[in-house]
Amino acid sequence: MKVRDLMIRDITAVFADQKVEDVIKICSKQFFTGLPVVDEEMKVIGFISESDIISGAVPSYYSMLQSASFIPDTNQFKGNLERIKDKPVSEFMTKPRIVKESDSAIYAADLLIRNGWRMLCVVDDEEKLVGLVTRMQLLWGIIRNKNSER
Amino acid sequence: MEVLTVTMNPALDREFFVDDFEINKLHRIFDLSRMDMTPGGKGINVSMALANFNVKSVALGVLAGYTGRVIEEELRKYSSLITTNFVHTDGESRENITIVDEKNHTITEINAPGPVLDDESIEQFFRRYLMTLSRVSYVVISGTVPPGIPLDFYRRLSKAATDKGKTVLMEARGQLLTNAVLSDSCPKIVKPDLRAEKKCLGKELNTLEDYIDMSKTILENGAELVILSYEIIKDVVATREGIWLLDTLLDVDISHVLGTGDTYVAAILYYLLRRNKNMFEASKFGYTAAVSKLKYSKKIFPTIEDIESIRDKIKVERIA
Repeated sequence: MKVRDLMIRDITAVFADQKVEDVIKICSKQFFTGLPVVDEEMKVIGFISESDIISGAVPSYYSMLQSASFIPDTNQFKGNLERIKDKPVSEFMTKPRIVKESDSAIYAADLLIRNGWRMLCVVDDEEKLVGLVTRMQLLWGIIRNKNSER
Repeated sequence: MEVLTVTMNPALDREFFVDDFEINKLHRIFDLSRMDMTPGGKGINVSMALANFNVKSVALGVLAGYTGRVIEEELRKYSSLITTNFVHTDGESRENITIVDEKNHTITEINAPGPVLDDESIEQFFRRYLMTLSRVSYVVISGTVPPGIPLDFYRRLSKAATDKGKTVLMEARGQLLTNAVLSDSCPKIVKPDLRAEKKCLGKELNTLEDYIDMSKTILENGAELVILSYEIIKDVVATREGIWLLDTLLDVDISHVLGTGDTYVAAILYYLLRRNKNMFEASKFGYTAAVSKLKYSKKIFPTIEDIESIRDKIKVERIA
C-alpha cells in the first residue's frame, strides 16, 4: 500500500510570516494537530505542530520536570501564549515532515512512530504540498484495505 | 491538478423527492433513495463533475462551522481527484434544500445565506488562491458570495489569474459579474447566471436580439466564449467566429435541472483540456453534457459515455 492510497487530499497550510494565532485558529476549526508551512509556490519549507506552540508557551525548563505542578498557575502559561500569539510561524516551525505519494505506507508509519509525530505532509516531486497523512488515516487505510481484500 | 474551482459560498445540498408536494402539509419520506445529501455550491459541483471526467481539480473557498466540515468531508469522500483547500471561518455554511416533485414537474428551492466573512478570512483566502494558481491552467469562479465580500472580488480573482496566464471561466450574476466583465481582465469564458433574473450587466434580456447584443458586448470586452441560457433549455453561444442557438431534439425533464449548469462548465473544461481548444466545439460539448445530466434525477453527473451517446441529438442554428 502506498501513501497515495490513504492520504487526505487537503492542502491547508500556513505561510512562515503568518501569526501563531492563525495556526491555533485553523487547527482548532479543522481538528488538525499541526500544519505544513509553505512558500508562495506551495513548496513545503517546515512544519508547525501543537507541541511546537506549547513548547513556546511554557518555560524552557519545563521538559525537565516530572510534573506540571511546579508551574505556579495557568496564568503564567496564558501570559506566555498571549506573548507569542502574534509572533511569526517561522520562529516556532521545525523542519519539514514529508513523504511522497509513491512512498510505502510502512515508510510513513515508521516516520510517524519513530519520531512521535502525528502528521506528515505529502509532497510531489518538486516538494510541493499535495496532501497530508495522519496516524489515524494510516490505521483507517490499513483496516479498509484489509477489509477490501476479504 | 489542472483546474482550480472557487466556491465562496459552499452549501450542503439536500434533495427530497416528494410526489404531489404541497405547502402546509406533512410529507414523510420512507425510501432513502428519495433523498440525497451532497456537497454543493457551483464551484464544488464543477469539481465533482470534473472528477467524473477523470480531471483533477483543487476546490478553494470558505467553509464555516459543523456544516462546513460535513461539506469538506463529503467532498473528499466523493473522489480522490479532488483536492480541498478551504479557509474555515466563524458561523455556519449554508444548506440548500430542494424539493423535487417529479409527478407535477415542479422544483422548490430554499437557499440559506452563508456566514458573514470578515476581512481576515477574505485575505487568507486570497493568499491561498494566489499560491494555488501556480499549479493549474484553468480557473473556475462561480456562484454567489456570502455577505462581507466586496463587489469587485471576482474582478480581483480574475485579474490575478489572468496576470499569471490562466484561463478564467466565470459563472456569476449581478455586480460581481459586471465588475469583472467590464474590467481590463474580463474572463475568457463568461456564462452569466440568469436563473434568478433575465438580466445581465444591468440590462434586461427579453428578445433573442437582446441576447445577441449582450453576447457581442461581452465579447467586445475581451471574452472568447459567451454562453447565455435562453428559454430554459436553449442556449445562445457566442465566439469571435459567430453566434449560435443550441437546442436539443430530446424530450427532457426540466425538474432534473439541478447541477446542469455546472456539468456544462466542467464539460467545456474537459473538452479544452483533453480534446482541442476550439471554443465553439467546447461549448457544444458542454451543452450536450448539460442535456445528458437531465436524465439523472439526483445530483449525479454524467460520464463521457453519457455525453457521447446523445451528441447527434443537438440542434445547432447560426443566428449571427
